[in-house]
Amino acid sequence: MINALRAGAYGIPFMPVGGMWGSDLVANRPEFFQVMKSPFDGKEVVCVKALVPDYAIIHVQEADIYGNARILGPTYQDVLMSRAARKTIITTERIVGTYRMREDPKHTEVPYFTVEAVVELPGGAKPGICYPEYLTVDWDDHKSYVGSVKAGEVPSFAEKMLKGRV
Amino acid sequence: MELGQDYGKPEMMAAAIIREIKEGDVVFHGLASPTPMVAMKAAKALGKDFCYITLSNGIDHDWSRAPYCASTLTENTYTGSVACLGLDSIFDLYCSGKGDIAFLSCLQMDKEGRIAMSYLGGDYDHPKLRGPGGAGSATLTPITPRTVIWKTGHDKRIFVERVDFATTAPALDKLFTVITTLCIFRKQPGEKYLKLDCIFPYTTVEEVKENTGWEIEETQVPVMTPPTAEELAAIRKVDINNILAYEFK
Repeated sequence: MINALRAGAYGIPFMPVGGMWGSDLVANRPEFFQVMKSPFDGKEVVCVKALVPDYAIIHVQEADIYGNARILGPTYQDVLMSRAARKTIITTERIVGTYRMREDPKHTEVPYFTVEAVVELPGGAKPGICYPEYLTVDWDDHKSYVGSVKAGEVPSFAEKMLKGRV
Repeated sequence: MELGQDYGKPEMMAAAIIREIKEGDVVFHGLASPTPMVAMKAAKALGKDFCYITLSNGIDHDWSRAPYCASTLTENTYTGSVACLGLDSIFDLYCSGKGDIAFLSCLQMDKEGRIAMSYLGGDYDHPKLRGPGGAGSATLTPITPRTVIWKTGHDKRIFVERVDFATTAPALDKLFTVITTLCIFRKQPGEKYLKLDCIFPYTTVEEVKENTGWEIEETQVPVMTPPTAEELAAIRKVDINNILAYEFK
């Protein structure tokens, strides 16, 4: 998945990946995995097809109104997703002034010109975690989320979660 | 040390995991991995010098922060880290040969160490049980020098003759280790099949055979030393909320 996103971000049709040998996934999903020979030394390598999501939705701790986004906790694949996606939507714990970016530009891993929209949404990662804003999963809400997925009632769950917050 | 009094299966598995780690190793464990998480924190508490990489991006976090849930993505595996690595970098570093151990788990496994993580029963598109998949383990299992699979159970539904769909499989040229509640299996570099390496003090080779879906040829194997008083003290010190028990409920 990571290398598929990388291919998307690099603007190339596929990407060789490490490992994957011995996995039945390769033969079972030819539309996503192919084996090819390195043009340099003939060694066989598994390749994945590029992934270009229509949208990446990324929740961050701080963003300005132009879309400059600061990730102050773990980044996971967030930056890569924003590079691969056609459009990126930022949800943020809080809107801050652009001066915050200028003070410490290294933290702005998603720059404004790659961002389509910014939504101020405190608690937007709940019932999950957003370090260091809230550090534990809200298990009750997590349970009702799982329940709502099984019952096909995600919109009403989201409505409940967002009540009075947007 | 006496089973049921001083230690149980969780502590024996944790001790076995601690003993897998050598000084200087670069070690990674996956998501939702309370057993290796507690064991690795305990190994740090014992003074073992190794690099602890977690999925929450942290490198060598403050191991004294006790886990409070079975998730391995909370701040207790991040706060106090000396550096940060995204998941993409973790895979890259292992692919380019800079990692030593990856502690991973499985739904099912066969004698070749082929691992089912994608589904059980039915077929790929219509499974009876959809697993978590294995992008991570499909990449890491064949390229990590010492992949270690931990499984908090041992029966014929887990250890089967032949896995229907292998999400991943070990490489022929690498050591591959499986730690269960009863024993350790190993596949040596150059060999194709797992062999019974040792059993835990509270079981017998017979019991292991009865609960394994493939033919075990070994008849005499060493019995692993029970968890030492130091190991048990370290486990208790880092795991005040007894998260180690989570997988054994």
